[in-house]
Amino acid sequence: MWRVRLTAISAFLLVPLAFAAATFPAYPIKQAKECPVSAENAGLVVGLEPVENSETQENYFHTELAKKGFVPVFLVIENRTSTNSFIFDKTIVSYGISDSTISTPLTESGAGKAIAVSVIPFVGPFAGVKIISDAAQIQQNLMKKEIQSTTLSPGASVHGFLYVPIPRKTARGKITLRVPISKASTNETFDLNLVF
Amino acid sequence: MHRPFYFRSTFAVCLLLLAAADVPMFAQDTPTSSKLPLRVTLVLTPEFCATRMARGSQTSKFGFEVGKAACEEFEPTLKEAFASVTTTSEAPKTGDIQLILIPKFVDVGSTVGMTAFSNRELDVILQWTVKDLSGTTIWIGTVQGSAKHHQGNMFTYKKNLKLIVDDAVKDLASQSAIRMSCSAELRKLSQQM
Repeated sequence: MWRVRLTAISAFLLVPLAFAAATFPAYPIKQAKECPVSAENAGLVVGLEPVENSETQENYFHTELAKKGFVPVFLVIENRTSTNSFIFDKTIVSYGISDSTISTPLTESGAGKAIAVSVIPFVGPFAGVKIISDAAQIQQNLMKKEIQSTTLSPGASVHGFLYVPIPRKTARGKITLRVPISKASTNETFDLNLVF
Repeated sequence: MHRPFYFRSTFAVCLLLLAAADVPMFAQDTPTSSKLPLRVTLVLTPEFCATRMARGSQTSKFGFEVGKAACEEFEPTLKEAFASVTTTSEAPKTGDIQLILIPKFVDVGSTVGMTAFSNRELDVILQWTVKDLSGTTIWIGTVQGSAKHHQGNMFTYKKNLKLIVDDAVKDLASQSAIRMSCSAELRKLSQQM
């Protein structure tokens, strides 16, 4: 009888472990110039690193984003001036195939929303709460790792991911990411183009 | 309730944030007061106040009612950061104001509790755009408000949902006031005006 009780108690104690919140490691921060692709203008440096390896995607996002039709792109922007402030507005970043003039705004493509939907496997009415819980954690991690709009004061930097749509079944071609930057307090804007 | 205590420590929080961030500390950036001597208008459009944020396969009907809570919370909290705050439903073109504050919800993320007693987390991301009367963007900042509460059962779910949304938006408002108070660009501007 004591063995049954012990098993029951052990099982009860192990349940929280099975359903424990997943931990998502932070992606290692690099300096803009250390990234495989970088561009510079007016003292502002942008570095880009696409994370295409499926194991790396699984490690940092707990899902293979390439299979969902996205490539996570790590972006770091550094203001290396000592006097100027710059504005980075994520909502006007766009991308396009390198050989084409077509440029699609990242936000209008609904990248975030599309990923949010695609990470959730199709689950019927009898879906386990665990599956839903895991999917919600993956979504939240994607959101937290995403780069956000900000004002870069002199010497400041910002980093995070953008999720760029790619073909699911065919190999992707070269993509150009256009990052518009404006000087704070003026309407002066310039683009930094990164090809990867 | 906790707001006065919270803002008494704004100065210390500002210093800590600036020290922890990549932002270098310049002599002119040192905050001399927790309130910025600026007259601002907060633009809370009916669309913003009606915002329900959904995530993934969730439909907006069942989303988080963040707009309503934000429209109740933002003005009183931002009054702790600026000398004068008025609220309008559309961006003014003229008036006795110096800056226009425009909030926009960016995203929402939430975990799902395994049982009624397990905690769920809610994160709300909001972008602030600060413009002058001519429409030039002076500053953009993104803040995150977070809260944790029990998921609740079928009887308490709605009540707990309201609690977690209200708490996340309160945190969002406080974080917004701190970020703006600490902004080097806004502090520099307040010295020039």
